[in-house]
Amino acid sequence: MTRTRSEDRRGYFFVLPTVIVLVVVAVYPMILAAWISLRRVVIVFHEDHFVGLSNYAFLVRDPRFWTALGNTTYFTVVAVIIELLLGLGFALLLHTSFRGQKLFRAAILIPWAIPTVVSAKMWSWIWNPEYGLISRTLPNSDINWLGMPGYAMHAAILVDVWKTTPFVALLLFAGLETIPTVLYKAAAVDGASSWRTFFFITLPLLRPTLVVVLVFRTLDAFRIFDAVYVLTGGGPANTTETLSIYAYKMLMRSGDFGYGSTLAVATFLCVMAISAIYIRMLGMPSRSQRS
Amino acid sequence: MGKGLGVIFTCVALGLAVQGCQHAPDPDNRTGKVRIVFKHRPMVGNTSEFRERLASFTRAHPEVDLMTEVLPNAADLTHQYYFTALAAQSRDIDVFVADIIWIPEFARAGFLRDLSDAFPPADIERDFIEGSARAVIVGGRTFAVPWYVDVGLLYYRTDLVSRPPRTYDELESFANLAKHNDPSLFGYLWQARQYEGLICNGFESIWGHGGVTMQGDRVTLDTPQARAGLDFLRGLLDRGTSPKSVTSAMEEDSRRVFEQGRAVFMRNWPYAWTELQKEDSPVRGKIGVAPLPTTTGEPGFGALGGGQLVINAAAPQSHFAASIDLVRTMTSLDANIAFAVANGQPPPRKAAYTDERLKTQAPFIASLYPIVARSRPRPVTAYYNMISDIIESEFSAAVTGIRSTPVAFGRAQLTIDRIAQ
Repeated sequence: MTRTRSEDRRGYFFVLPTVIVLVVVAVYPMILAAWISLRRVVIVFHEDHFVGLSNYAFLVRDPRFWTALGNTTYFTVVAVIIELLLGLGFALLLHTSFRGQKLFRAAILIPWAIPTVVSAKMWSWIWNPEYGLISRTLPNSDINWLGMPGYAMHAAILVDVWKTTPFVALLLFAGLETIPTVLYKAAAVDGASSWRTFFFITLPLLRPTLVVVLVFRTLDAFRIFDAVYVLTGGGPANTTETLSIYAYKMLMRSGDFGYGSTLAVATFLCVMAISAIYIRMLGMPSRSQRS
Repeated sequence: MGKGLGVIFTCVALGLAVQGCQHAPDPDNRTGKVRIVFKHRPMVGNTSEFRERLASFTRAHPEVDLMTEVLPNAADLTHQYYFTALAAQSRDIDVFVADIIWIPEFARAGFLRDLSDAFPPADIERDFIEGSARAVIVGGRTFAVPWYVDVGLLYYRTDLVSRPPRTYDELESFANLAKHNDPSLFGYLWQARQYEGLICNGFESIWGHGGVTMQGDRVTLDTPQARAGLDFLRGLLDRGTSPKSVTSAMEEDSRRVFEQGRAVFMRNWPYAWTELQKEDSPVRGKIGVAPLPTTTGEPGFGALGGGQLVINAAAPQSHFAASIDLVRTMTSLDANIAFAVANGQPPPRKAAYTDERLKTQAPFIASLYPIVARSRPRPVTAYYNMISDIIESEFSAAVTGIRSTPVAFGRAQLTIDRIAQ
């Protein structure tokens, strides 16, 4: 390594714009939110004073927070697992060659290309119990998907799966393309069954991509807001209220900036914890790629 | 390219950061006119009257450059918009339309200009229907002028029932009879998605069961009457009088099903009348409107909604006189009648309902007076937006059967009292 001082300086100079942008749009708001979470700020009542950790003390005792955390976790776990499995299936399909393959590749991206709010609105029509597609195809089912506790959450998960599976499929497809075909040829020569090929060649070599997809999707799903908000508004009786929706309602609707910020910080800490666990358990993609 | 590009990026980033802090340059200087910004919700129906009123205002005020902006037709969203803008003391809004439930909150926060000199509270109380007057007068001062009112109504099918039901028992027996003759019919449509409309439906039922939702300054929910009110709504779903779709329905969901002729009764706002009576409506000429029922048979109480005109407290003082005049132009008795005829907006001025023009040109609106006069506001309190969030979720829990009403209302009361203390 023969890096000179001036080269070092130039390096710092090149990353400076990125650092500045990050500080302005990410670090500063984060610190400000943490600071506000230690205060009671209710604009309507002209209240703004320091309260220490009492917002956090209330958070721990707040049943609505725990419900929201439970909802968010359930949503994330179920949605991500289904998306990964389906996405892997679609990626393998995309990877094989068949007639109409190009059309299939384009078609699969449509759900991902539609803005979330639009697709959520569309799905709320599909779920509509009076004139929706689902109730028309399943007559006499008497289920109001978006209005009955238990059903509403799964309806929301299905919308997320429909929307995001193409994204997962596309990333995994890209991962599949990087696996050298000689490995498959060698396996075929050795007489390996397609199951063995899948489990001993495809899956291990796809692992780095899988980890990236898993991290992306988990963090994204954990912050879910738009789709659920449009579909149910958090109802019925907050059974589909996620952490982001709760924080939004506190901040924007009730105008309780202190506690709303506490919720936002709590969400942030959860996301950090998830990332840390992933990195611990699965290792960074770059490291596993080298092994 | 390295260095130059880096510098450009840095400048752009800093520029973006700084721009957020600046006020837009005062537009008044460019044209030499006072620019008045009027923000409102989309006008339903014929907008020519609205434009004509604005035009007559600008003719009378050549010194004013009037700008109108339409905001989304969603109360929650617009509340958030105004709340954020006004909390930041935005000077770019002069006059805007505020929902009836925001006035105490915005007035207490200091967002609204005191209009008492131009519109003395005594005049407001004398001229406007009681519920609207109560909502716009905060601490003995006028902070808003009612523009139109909205009220919960019972729509019924004149070809399926001989007269509107007066009691809840009648509502159910009439619905069951009609369903007996035609099993494909739904009985009673209302709105129970977790949103503001559910609160209106819930309160209407509570009032109809003899409940009072505000005692002095305290919002009271955990009462036997309130529990009976929500138990009744839950029962409608259990007994099949109302379809399960109600628990995710908003106004338009109910209206569409009712318009297809698939239900006997519907709770909705006056706007639905115009829609249901359109040329191609299957139920055209087969619908009637009545007060909501009660347990005793006296006419029921619809939830009062509606728009009020308010003036932004942070708007420049030089805009005030023209802004007041704009409010006056839009809320006069003449304007009340004109908007009722052109847009189907029920007027908040009592005198409008006895006016011959309204009676002949908008007989439906004129006929609403007894219902409008009996309408009740949702709790008039500065922390309404904080408690409505809790009320919404507990009403939703009670209606969908997640929690029994004693448990749900116990929870709601606890939180309400904590916020209000």
